[in-house]
Amino acid sequence: MRRLIRLAVLIGLAIWAWRRFAGPSGPQQRAGVSYADGSSIVLEPGSAGFERLASIARTALRQ
Amino acid sequence: MDAVQAIRELAELSSQIESAVVLSADGSVLASTHEDPTRAAALASSTLELVGAAFELNAQPQEVTRVEVELEDGALFVLRDGGRTIAATTGSQPTSGLVVYDLRTCLQGIEEPEQKKKKRSAIRKPKDGVE
Repeated sequence: MRRLIRLAVLIGLAIWAWRRFAGPSGPQQRAGVSYADGSSIVLEPGSAGFERLASIARTALRQ
Repeated sequence: MDAVQAIRELAELSSQIESAVVLSADGSVLASTHEDPTRAAALASSTLELVGAAFELNAQPQEVTRVEVELEDGALFVLRDGGRTIAATTGSQPTSGLVVYDLRTCLQGIEEPEQKKKKRSAIRKPKDGVE
C-alpha cells in the first residue's frame, strides 16, 4: 500500500514538473482565416500576414 | 429575433465575449454590446479592416467567412454569413470553438425584416378547414 501511494505521488510530481518546465510556455498567438470555397489558412506569429491581422486586432482590443 | 435582441442574448449567454457588434451587408452597425455608438463604430471599423486584410491574404479572390486572431491579451473573432458580419472580442485564451458557435448561433438567429413579415402574416392567416 505504501509503495502504491509513493508511486502515485511520484507520478503526480512528474506530471506537474513536465507541465511546469516542458509544457507550452505563455499564451499561444495565432490567426486563422476561412474562405467561402472551404479553404482556410493559419498564420504563424512572425509572418507578415499575422502581423497585419494582429495589429488590427490589437486596435480593436484596446477600444 | 432582431439584431439588438440577438446580441443582447449573446452577451447574456456567453461569459467569454467582452464586446460584440453586428454589421449589415453595407457595413453599417445593426447592433452592438457597446452603449457608446463611437465605440461600436470603432469596433465595426476594425472588423471591416480585418475582413479586408484577410481577403487580401488569399491569392484567389474569395469571400472571407471567418477570421480569428488570438493574442496574449485577448482575441478578435469575425464571422460572416448571409451578408451579415458579426465580430466579438474576448479575453486571453478563449475557447475558440465555443465562441464561434455562439457567434454563429447569434448570426443565424437574426431574421430578415421580410422573414418577420411572412411569419406574422402566417400567424394571422386562419388555416383552411379550421374554424
